[in-house]
Amino acid sequence: MRLVLSFALAQLRVTLRERETLFWFVLFPVVLFVLLVAIFGSLGREGTIHFEVGFLNRDQAAGEAGLGRRIEAILEDLAQPGADGKEPLLSLHRPAGTGDLDAFQAREEQAVRYGTHALLVVVPEGFSARVRDALSSRSTTDAVRIQVFRRAGSASSGFALSILRQVIAGVDQGVLASGGRFRAEDAVVVDTVFLGSARGAEVRYVDFLLPGLVLMAFFTAGLFGVPGALLFAREQRILRRYWVTPFSVSHFLAGFSVTHAVVCALQFTLLIVVGRFALGAEVSFASPEAALFLVLSCATFLAFGFFVASLTKTGAAGMALANAINLPMTFLSGLYYQLGPLPGPLRILLSVNPLSYLADGLRRVIGLEGATSPLWLCVLVPILWMAFSLLVAGRRLSWDVGR
Amino acid sequence: MDENGLLLRVTDLRKSYGDVRAVDGVSFAVPRGTVFTLLGPNGAGKTTTLEILEGLREPDSGTIEVFGRSLRRVDRATKERMGVLLQEGSFEPYLKVKEVVALFASFFARPLPVKEVLERMELTEKQNALVRTLSGGQKQRLGIAVALVSDPELLFLDEPTTGLDPQARRNIWDVVRDLEGRGKTIILTTHYMEEAEVLSDDVAIMNHGGIIAQGAPRDLAARLGRETVIEFALAGARPEDLRELEALGTGLSTHGEVVFLKTAAFTATMERLLDWSKERRVALSGLVVRQPNLEDVFLSLTGRRLRE
Repeated sequence: MRLVLSFALAQLRVTLRERETLFWFVLFPVVLFVLLVAIFGSLGREGTIHFEVGFLNRDQAAGEAGLGRRIEAILEDLAQPGADGKEPLLSLHRPAGTGDLDAFQAREEQAVRYGTHALLVVVPEGFSARVRDALSSRSTTDAVRIQVFRRAGSASSGFALSILRQVIAGVDQGVLASGGRFRAEDAVVVDTVFLGSARGAEVRYVDFLLPGLVLMAFFTAGLFGVPGALLFAREQRILRRYWVTPFSVSHFLAGFSVTHAVVCALQFTLLIVVGRFALGAEVSFASPEAALFLVLSCATFLAFGFFVASLTKTGAAGMALANAINLPMTFLSGLYYQLGPLPGPLRILLSVNPLSYLADGLRRVIGLEGATSPLWLCVLVPILWMAFSLLVAGRRLSWDVGR
Repeated sequence: MDENGLLLRVTDLRKSYGDVRAVDGVSFAVPRGTVFTLLGPNGAGKTTTLEILEGLREPDSGTIEVFGRSLRRVDRATKERMGVLLQEGSFEPYLKVKEVVALFASFFARPLPVKEVLERMELTEKQNALVRTLSGGQKQRLGIAVALVSDPELLFLDEPTTGLDPQARRNIWDVVRDLEGRGKTIILTTHYMEEAEVLSDDVAIMNHGGIIAQGAPRDLAARLGRETVIEFALAGARPEDLRELEALGTGLSTHGEVVFLKTAAFTATMERLLDWSKERRVALSGLVVRQPNLEDVFLSLTGRRLRE
């Protein structure tokens, strides 16, 4: 144990003294965190985006009396291409003919959950009649409700909802014209249902991003830190200095793991402090399940780092390979944003990416549902990756030059 | 230690890499408290032999008896009693000198105090310097400090002075002599003939993976007889010139423009050589007269010089 701890302490000193390592592993995730929140935290207030919107009108009233139909007409108008040939603001998805409305709603909810569609708007049965009843009684106590399904943490979903509110307000104006001095904002209430949030409330981007950034930091430390340190030490013949003493490979692995864990803890603490106190994140990791996922992530990426190191002979090749792996793995992980539908080959990559499962699992256990995979799979896939990585590294990794 | 006072005995050690026989049937024995040197040119098999003895490589065959135990491969208990300076090996550049020594001290059960080792290797002033800021000589001293921190009974020094300036080299020699004085057993590799002569009790000359001569430096040189070597440079020498020169002594060899003329009758040969140079009107530049050394032994055994 003495050997392991003294080696871990030495490795930690090296890590903390090497400014570049310190920046990329510890400070960069924080910088990225601040940047992403600054850039995307308010997405939806501006910019032109095309939205896929599901619309289900269960209101049976027809013609001018049909308020659901009026909302639909306005949305249809927004779904028309602009006079200058510009792409329409939204595409409208409605049930075909008189098909099964419940099945349509279920399908659309799923599409919203997976990020395929931005919103699902459901005008309830008897909507028009209830609006007219409310007008005739001039009562504001029994507002008539429209249901809107949106995805938790999705900025585009939020933006689409704000457009819908404008549409509803337009319909309210029409109702006002026929109903006298009725307060428009009380006429129709939009009930929002968040899909993908265990807390049943909108997830702010900073809260969505924080667990993703924590995983990104762990991933970077494993993917770049392990091959970087190991291959450099092998290449520079630092390792062989150890092997001529009683210090063994198992001591090295244990000490290296302790160092990696400390670096991960440092990254985590810094991100939490900045997230909480500078960016106002509210999400909490204080649960045994969250701790389990953090430890699992740290261990998986450590093993993955050894796997990458075992595939190359030199430090330069190791870094090149890590770079080549880093981009697609983080891009196809949902660490920074909710992933929308992906084409076939990318879907396959996503389905084997341990990052996406760890991100899904961690977000779920800290109360940001969002996960599309069952929790057991979010644990199993990283464990399989860890086992595979250690197996390959155990067979291929060389601990000395020229072996 | 066995009944003959030997600390290490190596028997028929072999190691091949593909078709290349890096170590080919090497055998030697090292008594306790002596300096044993493996001398030979680059690629002779010295470092591979040492790496097997240090536990870095596993031999294909052969036996190693060390500290009275017969081993197939050097184990942890043996490493506790050894110190190693590798020919090629560095330290974490972002560790301080004292941290490196302390780290390696922590690997052993009964290490020497870090302060004592730093003082012995004259590194006290540099103890807070990062490894990356050290000069070549300082790094080599740090390497020896790390090898000494376990207070080893058996010390391996693989090319300890390669790449060092003459002053730094002599400092390392002083350290080796001091260690021998303290009763340490040292196994040294070098391709510097002078180093082997100055430091060694016994020398094994290696070539092409095998030992071609072994003994005390003086005894090895004496094998060439009581001859004197006359060494000089001769630019543009023709074959007939060399034939005439060979007839002046008992043997002749060349290395580039340098001629080595051996003689058992120095005065007569020298007079005839000077006459020959006057007649031919050629200059004998850089003329040196000396007794045979290990370089001459190697030359006579292999037909080439150590540093070719």
